[in-house]
Amino acid sequence: MGRNRAEVTIQTARDAGLVGCTRCGKVWPQQTHECGRCGATLKRVDNAGLQAVWAWWLAGLIFYIPANLYPMLRTSTLAGSQQNTIIGGVVELVTHHSYFVAAVVFVASVVIPVSKFIAIAYLALAVGNERRAGSHRHLHLFEVVEFIGRWSMVDVFVVAILSALVQLGAVVSIHPGPAAAAFALSVALTMLSAQSFDPRLIWRGPARTTGS
Amino acid sequence: MTDELRPADLETSPAPNPIWTRLSVIWLVPLVALAITLGIAWQSYADRGTLIEIDFADATGVRPGETVLKFREVEVGRVETVGFNPDLSSVRIGVRVNKEVAHFVDNEARFWLVRPQVSAQGISRLDTVLSGTFIEGYWDAESAGQQTLFQGLDKPPVTPDPTKGTWIELRAEDAGGLAEGAPVLFRGITVGRIQNLRLNDADSGVIVDAFIDSPHDRRLTTNTRFWDTSGISVSLSASGVSLDMRSLASLVQGGIEFDTFTTGGTFIQNGFPFRLYSTAEAARTSIFGAGLAEPARYTLLFDDAIEGLQRGSKVQFRGVEAGEITDLSIKVQTDSTGTRFAQQQVVIALSPERLGLARGTEQEIVNEFLATEVDSGLRARVAGVGLLGSTLVIELTDVPDVPPAVINRSAKPYPTLPTTDAKTNDLAASAEGVFKRIDALPIEELMASAIRTLDSISAVAESEDTRAVPGELAGLLEQLRTLTDGLNQRGASEKAVAALDGMTEAASTVMTEFEGLAETLASTDAAAQAVAEMPLGEIGNKIDGILADIRTMLGSEDAERLPRALSDTLEESAALLAELREGGAAEKINGTLLAAQDAATAIESASERLPDLTAKLESLVTTAERLVASYGERSAFNAEVLDTMREMRRATAAFGSLARMIERNPRAFILGR
Ligand SMILES: [Zn+2]
Repeated sequence: MGRNRAEVTIQTARDAGLVGCTRCGKVWPQQTHECGRCGATLKRVDNAGLQAVWAWWLAGLIFYIPANLYPMLRTSTLAGSQQNTIIGGVVELVTHHSYFVAAVVFVASVVIPVSKFIAIAYLALAVGNERRAGSHRHLHLFEVVEFIGRWSMVDVFVVAILSALVQLGAVVSIHPGPAAAAFALSVALTMLSAQSFDPRLIWRGPARTTGS
Repeated sequence: MTDELRPADLETSPAPNPIWTRLSVIWLVPLVALAITLGIAWQSYADRGTLIEIDFADATGVRPGETVLKFREVEVGRVETVGFNPDLSSVRIGVRVNKEVAHFVDNEARFWLVRPQVSAQGISRLDTVLSGTFIEGYWDAESAGQQTLFQGLDKPPVTPDPTKGTWIELRAEDAGGLAEGAPVLFRGITVGRIQNLRLNDADSGVIVDAFIDSPHDRRLTTNTRFWDTSGISVSLSASGVSLDMRSLASLVQGGIEFDTFTTGGTFIQNGFPFRLYSTAEAARTSIFGAGLAEPARYTLLFDDAIEGLQRGSKVQFRGVEAGEITDLSIKVQTDSTGTRFAQQQVVIALSPERLGLARGTEQEIVNEFLATEVDSGLRARVAGVGLLGSTLVIELTDVPDVPPAVINRSAKPYPTLPTTDAKTNDLAASAEGVFKRIDALPIEELMASAIRTLDSISAVAESEDTRAVPGELAGLLEQLRTLTDGLNQRGASEKAVAALDGMTEAASTVMTEFEGLAETLASTDAAAQAVAEMPLGEIGNKIDGILADIRTMLGSEDAERLPRALSDTLEESAALLAELREGGAAEKINGTLLAAQDAATAIESASERLPDLTAKLESLVTTAERLVASYGERSAFNAEVLDTMREMRRATAAFGSLARMIERNPRAFILGR
């Protein structure tokens, strides 16, 4: 089974009959079940991990829909109550000429989650795609997704902090809307999705993913 | 050569891996997520309310997703859409009403926009300045079939709950000083509000709805009368200026008051129509009932323009007030030769009751009745009533020797009654005429002649001759007594007759003298009467002064002695008469005595009239002063009048300058310009 690869062939651990520890990085013979150095269970690279990626990804995507349709914040002031969805809030901020805040909210709540979905889907798909496999770019992308994951919660934090701080009775009070919970779930699930992704898959061609 | 038997190599292939074995349990996660999301979506779909649409003239401050619908100040819905109705004539607002109340929103439901309001009654709904406009709805607890399209009210209803009071409808000639939301008062207490000031499509008047709160609505009966208390009423009368003002709110916004002057009415239902009178006085005295039993209406056409007639002027039926003028206009007609000419068209409303017919009699029957009356000479004409004849009324009365005429029943809009010329003995055909008359009065000459007359009276009174009269008379009576004594002694009847003749003559002379005086006084009286119409206190004073002279003259000893002397003489004469009765001179003596008595009566009545005259002149002065005073007070409302009045006061300080002013421009004196 020749690898039809234009680039420099990369010798993977699997090619060498080894399995790498995902925790400390030391490689062991394939039959080894436990890392002799750090004690972590050594996992074979297979598609079961990819299934988990897709499952979490899909769950995250499902929750992202109500997160956008339901109001994120319920603001009650003397002038009545108001509830904003994420996009509605952004639009309102733009109409009030708060472009910077609008941009921050838009990036944190829309751009990042959506790019995360796209990036994870892309990575997971690329695993099965021979031509794209083994790209360093994919690894960088994965690292970025993992890094950014924790910051996606910035919206939820803002809502949580505002709800806790702005409780001035009748004058003004802020309550989280149903979208806040959905958004938090969505972010958590995409983080799980990203974590389920085994970066070693990046270096594997599609032929061997079925195992033998 | 034995081949080692070896089992054939096993053809192995990995056992087909069923798809479910390769599926990880992890796939339950998105399934659960989907279930949760769908669950939430279904719940919010199931919980969302009913969408109703409300049409408003405009949607000031209504924003989709923000503006709320409130019922009793509780949020029960939210505006979802703001659009237009198909012909763009109004704004159609889509409101999502909560499920719990949606089924109560039936065809009875009413909606209106709540905005801050600043009115004469104060500022209300200031909270909406901050919270923004919201839609308020009101509906009852009975659900009578849901409805989805509603017509919003233009303004908040006077009361959201129509079961807590009674609606009535008031009809008036004009809205006067009334404004939306003006109070309805009962003995000074606000018991309701008015709303929906609008023109009466069928008639020339206006209609206004009034809502009387429970329990005050129980005071309404079919006999209740309503009147307008708007603003300030200033009435100028002989007793001075009286000012009536109900409340500050009613000053700005107008107000309506009601009362039930007569008992026996029945309770009313919602929407009962009442007449709205312009004043309390009109409400109390109007001959038309409180209700709106349609009066019989007729058109009168007069050839001459009549100034002074106005809406509300009375119509008298053979001297009894029977209706009023409801409309005045000019009608242009074309005669047989094609010439166009204008006629004054007067519409009158007659109360059938006052014509002697039953209440609420149909116009047709009233027509019949009047037709027979017209046959026997009934005509409509303009007549002046009142002190100066300046108040014009329409008179329906029998006019002798008029050409035959009939009611034109087919005339539109109302049957036409035949008319005739105005009463000829009217002092004035119009209010203008009164002024003209005053203008035309030769005041200066009148004054001069009055003064001349009074001067001559003083002259007469002061002259020695006049003073001598009582003396002469006394002398004459002295002589008579002497004569009587003589007669008593001598019994000569013939001489007595002659003496009586002389006495008769003397008495006649005295009488003539005093009759002359009486005439003079009468003419003074007439002059005073004429002067009474002039607001000229100064002249009154002068007359008073002259009069004082007359009084002094007549109060002189000689004058006082006169009646006493007379009665003495009469007593004596009576005794003489008894003796003379046999002498046959009875008739002559009788005549003489009668003449003497007449003379005495004349003197007496002459002296009796003097105090009257004085009183009259005094009241003239008072009236004149009051008139001037009241003009002065009224001028506070009109700077122009004030100036004129100042002018007049200065003028009255000297009669001469007044006379000159009147001479220069008589109209300025009366009209103030
Ligand atoms: Zn290890």
